[in-house]
Amino acid sequence: MNEQADDWGILSQLPGNPLMWVLILSEMLVFGALFVAFAVMRLLHPAMFLAGQASLDVALGGLNTLVLVTSGYLAARAVQVRTVAGSRASLPWLGGAMTLGACFLAIKASEYADKAAHGLGIETNGFYTLFYLMTGFHALHVVMGIIVLGIVGWKNSVENLETGAAFWHMVDLIWLILFPLVYLLR
Amino acid sequence: MTHEDAHAWGRRLLRAWAILAALTGLSVGAALMSGSGSRAGLFSVVVALAASFIKARQVLNHFLDLRRAGGSWRTLFTAVLLVILGLCLVLYLAAVFRSPSGL
Repeated sequence: MNEQADDWGILSQLPGNPLMWVLILSEMLVFGALFVAFAVMRLLHPAMFLAGQASLDVALGGLNTLVLVTSGYLAARAVQVRTVAGSRASLPWLGGAMTLGACFLAIKASEYADKAAHGLGIETNGFYTLFYLMTGFHALHVVMGIIVLGIVGWKNSVENLETGAAFWHMVDLIWLILFPLVYLLR
Repeated sequence: MTHEDAHAWGRRLLRAWAILAALTGLSVGAALMSGSGSRAGLFSVVVALAASFIKARQVLNHFLDLRRAGGSWRTLFTAVLLVILGLCLVLYLAAVFRSPSGL
């Protein structure tokens, strides 16, 4: 085990699977570029962005943030319980994390449906293009995260669970920057 | 791992979640109570970005357990966060000062 860990060089200092940390850093940089692009577009088209942001429901976005951070907490507890008490004890925590992930998607879908009902789509203007691109790309990560949590719940080793939960926390981390930038900075 | 260690781990995760929930409530509350592009709006923006930074660090250090890694890794991830959030703040301020109805 130590020999295998040493093979990763400086990455072996990181908890869990080192490749997951490469993915986390890559995703932070990709989404970071999108966030800066959003802020630049806002600088260039302040009126369009102000009107677009005014159409967003801050309370609903805040609720979704609470749902996702609670889901992240449950995923972290799944790892803790798996490490301490064994595989079966972690399943309710993991199931709770996945259920809240599905709640996040349901709330996001209701938000999209409301926008569509008001005729606001991805081609409406530059604000909505970036809004749907960023939140949609993130929602796809949530879908993938739920699938990953399901797989590591099935193949329930500590390392698998740590790696799957790390992906889920990365999805959480991205939302914690996306939410204030898109919904709160007006 | 001792029973006490496991208990402390669980408490640490619960504390991190409580901080995340409280800061989310704070930033949403500040945004709902202030206008946009005004001094009050600027205050809520600073609150939102500061809360975002602290929340991201909580997730990294406690949920992702980055605190177990070396200081250089924590510095790298902190730097990435600061660059992204710092650029967002600078560009927001530029938009506010550029607008005729700004500060």
